[in-house]
Amino acid sequence: MAKTQLPKLDTLSMVTMGLLMALQLVISRFSIGNNFIKFSFTFLIVALLAKWFGPWWGMMTAAVVDVVGTLMTGGPFFLGFTVSAILGSLIYALFLYKQPVSWGRITLASVIIAVVVNAFLNTLWVTIMYRTPFWSLLPLRVVKQLIVTPIQIVLVYGLLKSRVIQTIQERLNR
Amino acid sequence: MSNFIFGRYLPLNSIVHRLDPRSKLLLSFCYLIVVFLANSWLSYAILIGFTLAAILSSKISLGFFLKGLRPMLWLIAFTVVVQLLFSPAGGHVYFHWTILNITQAGLVNSGVIFIRFLLIIMMSTLLTLSTQPLDIATGLSSLMKPLRWVRIPVDTLAMMLAIALRFVPTLMDEATKIMNAQRARGVDFGEGGLIKQAKSFIPLMVPLFMSAFNRAEDLSTAMEARGYRDSEHRSQYRILTWQRRDTMTWIVFLMVVATMLATRRW
Repeated sequence: MAKTQLPKLDTLSMVTMGLLMALQLVISRFSIGNNFIKFSFTFLIVALLAKWFGPWWGMMTAAVVDVVGTLMTGGPFFLGFTVSAILGSLIYALFLYKQPVSWGRITLASVIIAVVVNAFLNTLWVTIMYRTPFWSLLPLRVVKQLIVTPIQIVLVYGLLKSRVIQTIQERLNR
Repeated sequence: MSNFIFGRYLPLNSIVHRLDPRSKLLLSFCYLIVVFLANSWLSYAILIGFTLAAILSSKISLGFFLKGLRPMLWLIAFTVVVQLLFSPAGGHVYFHWTILNITQAGLVNSGVIFIRFLLIIMMSTLLTLSTQPLDIATGLSSLMKPLRWVRIPVDTLAMMLAIALRFVPTLMDEATKIMNAQRARGVDFGEGGLIKQAKSFIPLMVPLFMSAFNRAEDLSTAMEARGYRDSEHRSQYRILTWQRRDTMTWIVFLMVVATMLATRRW
């Protein structure tokens, strides 16, 4: 059998990833906003997994959580959304993994995800899946991203800079 | 919290419930592709028939399926209306005003899209309602096995998933407890503007992270104490068995697909 080329995980890292996945499934149930704009905080966990464990583990856990999450909430499963989830995690990891936390990095990562993944790709998937007219749906989604992205940037920065996360990171590396 | 993930499974004892989770997962995946391929009225009728038969044989009442539609309602309505108003010219024109016109082609298109939405959502709801989360996870990790050949650590991922599923209810309880505790101290969840709402979640998220990590430390120590070293080189306790009803279901499904393809406009 082919061996995995990933660095071997210690048990603590593996279990932590499992618990973060659980947390992501839990958090996806809470959303804030009103009837027009709703968003949940799952991106925080995606960013954290990417920051701590890098692109490979980030992408794999993102894929698993996406598939399991949609299957268990009864949402229609579509491979495109899994691709989106993987890409989102990859982008976070490219900007955040083994890098100092900075406004520039987080802003750039969040903006790329908002434009490429959330606005463009996800609209494309909806279009393919349900034959929704792409060009009439896109503006709506872009407007949503314009409002949500700044909030996300601040929250990711706040989270990664927070004392709790730094403490945990030190304990993980010990 | 009434629509919580783990509350969605309905423990009934029907043939659909007893199917192997792997075959259910694969079936609903293939079903999506099949819905993409349908394009004539007759082919849609066949798929509707199959879907209804699947729903009936699961003994789950239709109301649950309608509930599954609710979160998608705005998208369905939006799509159908846009499709109706901005449809290309074709067939009889019923209504015309500047760029808006309702044509026969538009009506047909909206109808088709509506049916498509229903079919896709109903089937995925059926999978959720008739399969336990743990079975979904076991089925998934079994279906992912071939990915080992492209060097994906399937066993480790399966282990993480098992841990994640085990801790979802625990963390959920914890989240509710923390929320109540913070409420008692004066935090208003879900009130005020977007930014204020986002801010109010910090007193929830931070303790939640800390407690999740504390649990992770405890659990990993306990696992190592019990002789856990890596995810490979282990045996399995939960074993899925493929039974005759799975084969039969697939035969029926393939027959339906064949008839659907035959009635499709090529």
